[in-house]
This record gives sequence, C-alpha cells and structure tokens, in this order.
Amino acid sequence: MHHAHKVVLALLLSAEKPLKQDQVELSLEEDVDLEKIVEEINQYLAEHEMPIEVQNIADGYKVVTRQTYEPYIDRLFQKNSKPGLSQAALETLSIVAYTQPTTKSEIDSIRGVNTSMKTLLSKNLVEVKGRLDAPGKPLLYRTTDYFLEYFGLASLGDLPKMKEIEEMLEDKEEQTQNQ
Amino acid sequence: MSYNIKLDVFEGPLDLLLFFIKRDEINIYDIPIAHVTSEFLDYIHMAQQMNIHLAGEFLEMAGILMRIKSKMLLPDKNNQDGEDVEDPRTDLVNMLLEYRKYREISKQFENREKFAARHYPAKVENNSDREYDPDLFLSEVTLFELSSLFKKLLQNKPEPQYYEIEKIDISIQEQRIYIMNRLEEKKRIGFWELSKDLDNKLEVIVTFLAILEMVKVNTIKLQQNDVFEEIYLEKRDGGEQIAPRA
Repeated sequence: MHHAHKVVLALLLSAEKPLKQDQVELSLEEDVDLEKIVEEINQYLAEHEMPIEVQNIADGYKVVTRQTYEPYIDRLFQKNSKPGLSQAALETLSIVAYTQPTTKSEIDSIRGVNTSMKTLLSKNLVEVKGRLDAPGKPLLYRTTDYFLEYFGLASLGDLPKMKEIEEMLEDKEEQTQNQ
Repeated sequence: MSYNIKLDVFEGPLDLLLFFIKRDEINIYDIPIAHVTSEFLDYIHMAQQMNIHLAGEFLEMAGILMRIKSKMLLPDKNNQDGEDVEDPRTDLVNMLLEYRKYREISKQFENREKFAARHYPAKVENNSDREYDPDLFLSEVTLFELSSLFKKLLQNKPEPQYYEIEKIDISIQEQRIYIMNRLEEKKRIGFWELSKDLDNKLEVIVTFLAILEMVKVNTIKLQQNDVFEEIYLEKRDGGEQIAPRA
C-alpha cells in the first residue's frame, strides 16, 4: 500500500461519519481519486484476509467488519437483540424515500392510516426540509444521510427502481392466478 | 378463565384487505367485494369484542366497501347499451396497488436493515470535551432536535412558587382619623411615638402619607429641629376639618 492508501485507511478508522473525497484531500493536501484508492484498499484487505472492508455508504466511505465476524462481536458485546424498525416506520420510510420531498398527508393517503413521523424524526432517518407552498403550508419530509448509512446505501440511486418493484409484483400476481 | 387469542395486527385497512387478498388468493383486479366486505366486517366485530381499539380508518373503509358492494348490485343502465362504465372498485384497487408497492419496498428495507446491521463500523470514541466551533456545531442540528430540546427545557422549567401574603387593610383616611384622635389626647406628639403603636412598615408609610396630606390641607403643622430628628405634630386651628367617620 502507498502512503495515500495508509492515510485513507487511518482516516476511515477514525471517522465518525462516512468519509468523503474532499475530506481526504483536505487531510492529504493533494488531489486524490478516492474511489480508486478505496478499491485498492479493499483488494489488499481481501488478499490478506483481513476481517474488515470498506463500504460505499451515503456518498462516502466507511470501514466495517465483515459479516463473518458478526457472531463473535455479538457474543462479546451482547448485541443479539437488534430491534429493527416497526412495519409502520418501514412503510412510512419507503414512501418518503420514493416520493420525497413529501408531506404527511401524502403518506397518510398511500398508507390509508394516520401516520406518526415522530420515530423516524427522532432516529434521524427523515428530516423536515421546508414547507410545501400549498394551503396550510404542510411540512416537507425527506430522508437523511443517516438513512443511507443505516441501510448501507451508497446513494438514493441504489434503491430498487419503482418499475422493478412493479414488475416483480405483477409476476407474483400472475403466478397466484395461474395456480 | 382466560383465553390466549392471537390476532394479527394490521397497519391499517389497506393492510388488512391485502391480507385477505393474499390468503384467499384473490385476483386484485377482480375483487369479490361481497366476500371481502363480510370478512372485513367480521374482523372489525372481532376486534371490538376483544376491546381492541381500531383506528377510525377501519370504519371508514367498511363504509367504502359497503358502498361499492351496493353499487355493484345495482344494474347499470349504461351497461345495457354496451358502453364502458367505470368499475366501482377502480379507486380501491388503485389504492391497494399503490400501497402494496410501498409495502413491498418496506420489506426490502427490512432486509437491508438486517443486512447492514451485520457489519459493525469502526468505533470512534466521542471526545466530549473537544472544543466545537459553535457555528459548525449548530450546522448539524436539525429542526426536530431543536424542537425536542425546547420541549425538554419547558418540562424542566421550575413550578411557579406561590406565597401567601396577608392583605393589610389600611387607608390614608383611616390614619388621618387615627392621628386626629391621638392629637385629641395629647396636644403635641412625635412621629416616632405615633409609629410605635403601628404593627408594620406599611402602616407607618400610610400614616406618614396621612401626615403629609394633613399638612397640605393645614389640619396640622410639623416641626423638626434637624435632619433625622423627631418630627412633632401639632393640631392647627382653622384648617380643613376631618369629620371622623364611623
């Protein structure tokens, strides 16, 4: 590994949030191709069978442990119970992710029930970004960078395409009818 | 006697309808409304019997289903002419399809959530005594955080303390009469002497005001030999008389 690669890995290990290109350039005081460096670091880590890898998350990079080591970490730190988000929260989040910026009334109309934004806001998965210029000036919600981090997504473009979802559901529908 | 009954909890009426559609292998584009409506109403009745509070949207949906059901029972005039009329189920089907898409996505989110949780990030010690540039620090604060902080502050606000204060019932007019009465007993009386018999500061102040008032209307005259020395009161003849009142 070159000097730049070592610095990037050090930065990755000490960064609280996904590391971005401009941060690395600020630190190294030179222009870098972070994508390439990360790729090479990952190659090195794989060749040496290291238990960590660098992931592309939320428009930046994060160093994480490989999945193989999850049970060991869980055993020591007793992280066996990982309560995920509720169905209501996941539904709301998926609507926000695909229709953002969106309003509560739009979410309510799709879900057919009154929706509480409280959990998602307090978990910093969605945020308020202004108000819609419509009667009542409703709040506009959108997903946060932490949302991408939480779901291990590089960007919103990483979400499955709506068309793919539709096609998948159509296929399922046909299968059911043909049975 | 107690029963353990497992009742699936549904996120809302659309979730419940999709459950019926899946369970009974119903074609979503050709929903047997009568069947689904009766299933739907059964669920509501069951929930009510078990004292489960259902959101109002369930009842609203029951209404929608029954309206569609009655519409479908009516023979349509246009239909006889072979014209295309809108199926009364169309709106409902569109709602179900739309909702189903997001529910499917939410399942994928759930998988991703589990998957992402299997990788642990490098732990960074959050150094709390690090000095923050206040502007930089605030840039990370969301509106929601600010509002919840504000709410917390309001909760921590101390309860207002209440003290009991006794109302002192005294008026200048009363003290004028009091002074006149004292001057009946003794021709010349000192302010200190007068004040000795008073209960509190307020009475002394009101009495002093009464004296000033009486000097003004020439009922009494004052004499003080030097600054801070005793003030003597003396009745004056020919001044405005104060009629003692009951």
